[in-house]
Amino acid sequence: MSTAPEEDRFALLAAADEVADGTLLLANTAARLLGLVVPAFADVATLDSISPHGDLRRLGSRVDAPRAREELEAALLRRRPLPDAPVGLPRAIVSSESQLLASVTDADLHAIASSDEDFELLRALELRSALFIPLRARGRTVGALALGVGTSGRSYGEDDLRFAEVLAGRIALALDNAALSQTVTGLERRLEATLTNLAEAVLVRESGGQIVFANSAAARLLNLDSARAVIEATPQQLMDLYEVFDEDGRRLELADLPSSRAGRGEEAAPLLVRNIIRATGDERWLLHKATPVFDPDGSVSLIVSVIEDLTEVKRAELAQRVLAEAGQELSSSLDYERTLQRVAELAVPRLADWCAVAMREGDLLPLVALAHVDIGKVARVRDFEARHPVHLGDPARAAEVVRSGEALLIPEITGEVVAGGPLSEEALGLARELGLRSVIVVPLALADQPPIGALTLATAESGRRLEETDLALASELGRRAAIAVENARLYGELSEIATTLQRSLLPPDLPAMPGFRMASLYRAAGEQNEVGGDFYDVFEVPGGWMVVVGDVAGRGAEAAALTSLSRYTFRTAGKLLGDPIAALEQLNTALRESPSLSLVSVCCVRLRTGDGDAYADLVLAGHPPAYHVRRGSSRPVGVFAPFLGAYEHGGWEATTIKLDPGDQLILYTDGVIDTVGVEERFGEERLARTLSGATGAADAVRRIEHALVEFAHGSQVDDTAVIAVERTSAGPVETRAPGLDDPARVAPN
Amino acid sequence: MDTRRIGDAAVVSVGGDIDLTTFAAVQSALDAARGQCTVLVLDLRAAGFMDTSGLRLVISQQQRAEADDYRFVVVPGSDRIRRLFEIAGFRKGHPLFAGAPTELDGGDGA
Repeated sequence: MSTAPEEDRFALLAAADEVADGTLLLANTAARLLGLVVPAFADVATLDSISPHGDLRRLGSRVDAPRAREELEAALLRRRPLPDAPVGLPRAIVSSESQLLASVTDADLHAIASSDEDFELLRALELRSALFIPLRARGRTVGALALGVGTSGRSYGEDDLRFAEVLAGRIALALDNAALSQTVTGLERRLEATLTNLAEAVLVRESGGQIVFANSAAARLLNLDSARAVIEATPQQLMDLYEVFDEDGRRLELADLPSSRAGRGEEAAPLLVRNIIRATGDERWLLHKATPVFDPDGSVSLIVSVIEDLTEVKRAELAQRVLAEAGQELSSSLDYERTLQRVAELAVPRLADWCAVAMREGDLLPLVALAHVDIGKVARVRDFEARHPVHLGDPARAAEVVRSGEALLIPEITGEVVAGGPLSEEALGLARELGLRSVIVVPLALADQPPIGALTLATAESGRRLEETDLALASELGRRAAIAVENARLYGELSEIATTLQRSLLPPDLPAMPGFRMASLYRAAGEQNEVGGDFYDVFEVPGGWMVVVGDVAGRGAEAAALTSLSRYTFRTAGKLLGDPIAALEQLNTALRESPSLSLVSVCCVRLRTGDGDAYADLVLAGHPPAYHVRRGSSRPVGVFAPFLGAYEHGGWEATTIKLDPGDQLILYTDGVIDTVGVEERFGEERLARTLSGATGAADAVRRIEHALVEFAHGSQVDDTAVIAVERTSAGPVETRAPGLDDPARVAPN
Repeated sequence: MDTRRIGDAAVVSVGGDIDLTTFAAVQSALDAARGQCTVLVLDLRAAGFMDTSGLRLVISQQQRAEADDYRFVVVPGSDRIRRLFEIAGFRKGHPLFAGAPTELDGGDGA
């Protein structure tokens, strides 16, 4: 009898098709298929799959038997076919040909059985006929089906074999599809596992913006409990959880983000944003990247976003930038009040919303710098501070920090902190009005020194919470500010010392020399605090007056010391000895005693009278000539000789000239003739021309000054000193008795 | 700046200015050139401006040569530089200018 009526066969095929089209997992597919086949077409069935590598795997077994069904199914499930059997599954698979055993004999069972036990199992199935069919789909043998009848009284014939082959085709497809689906699902799973475990936050959105996939990194970054929570929120709901700004501080909306742009089909360049979680005040720097995925028709199907957390990097970069800019600002000028204000402005809004610096001044702690993006608010606070000046002993935080020298961080200004703290009602009100969230106060102090002030950083509008890293940065800023202020103060003091020193090296006033008139000019080339190397002096000596101009090469403390030494040695020797050469020799000896080569160039002249005429004895030592102006014409005077401090014996010579009334004698240092112009130096000739026509000492100096101002181009490196002496009238030059303690002299410093 | 040997002499030729900012480099070149030579020559024919720091260098070098027993010679160049030496008491014919190799244009300050 045939196994199943026609309709049943068609029904079986249709059912198998359904399974093939379905998306069941492999195990389920096998069970469904076996259920279709048994008992409709067979009493016993086993289904195996074959992997691409050829491994046989039993997917399922079904037995329709009155007794011991489960044991038989289990045993068949475990069973491994004998690979070399002349009949059975392995043969069918290898040959790709189905087999029909119309009448199963014990001999057949023996041929198939792998052991006595196996034989017993096969016997227990009471098989009359058996079919072994290889399952082929998509050009590959994907499995094998074994069918048997016996207990139902049926048997198989050629018809059944052919039907089974057709059915096998459907079953093979069903298996293959299930297997493929398995593979794809497997791939999907692996992909999901990979994405889930990535450190970067990955979000996948639909073109409308709704998130359909988020990994756990994304959930963490967005400060949500799970990826599910991310997916369940709408895009705007998510956006509302944060304050988002671009690098320039501009507030951003959802539509500005790269993923939104990509969704609209626009260009979506990576965007670095400052993201502050409203709930906690935590600030992060996030790099948003978005890539669209297109449908075959070219429309946007999905948007993949990757968000990288660059907070550490960005913070470090910002901190360094602010410190570097602040450092530059602080060292740019000595006006520390102005630089502190600029530094406060640099800190806002990158480091905080508010920055203030207060400096000790006696018992008070006045505000020196204050910055915030809104100058209206700045005015508010300044006004408040003006009405409530802070004393060092006050409980105010800044005063506390200046007293203790300890930095202070209040990450969250809660009601209690503000209320419980040392602020007045009005101060409390102001703090609330400004919406202060977080505060840092650090001392301005150098190591081991009491603080000279305090620097405050506070957040408000940005909602950001300050933390330890901010404290470290603020402390560094405070330290640098303190150094800058100290330097400015020291510099100011040094400047004062230098000015005092410099003043001491110049005669405060030219003394009145009867019978002569004098004028002078002095310009130090360097900065205000640098003492020049030029000097001049005028003092009384036995028999007359000594006028001297000198030039010490160099600048700074060393030059100042040498200048001082030279001037006072020469003055002392001159007063004692009265003779210019003798005085120069004294100075020469003194200079030669110095361990390093100390060279000084000098032009000195002794003015004396004899018989009502005035004479000048002039000596040059490493110095350009003096100029004698008589009746409008000028000529150089003096014999060249070596520098002082160079050799044991200098061979200095005196040149004597008579000074008639109206005559001028002009002494100067080489800074005058070395003055740099546009194309050349001032030079001796130009000086000679400038002096021609001079009408007196004052006029001579005025002419030189004017000519230098006109001629000079760019900064000058050398000092300039000029002394002009004019013989005013005939008659003896009155002198008092010379003395070293002459009160007209400048007291040394 | 340029250093070469001419027979027994080490010659350091200076172009440009010798002033507060450049004299140290010239001194270094002289120190480096000295070596084993019996004559050290400072060739200023191509030099531009010179001030007291240059003179100081010359005087210092003079004293060093005397102490270490070798000759130090200067070849002045421009009129301005000759004038500078003159002001410093080094007249034409001064021993400082004598003894340079004849290739260097005389060397007697003429």
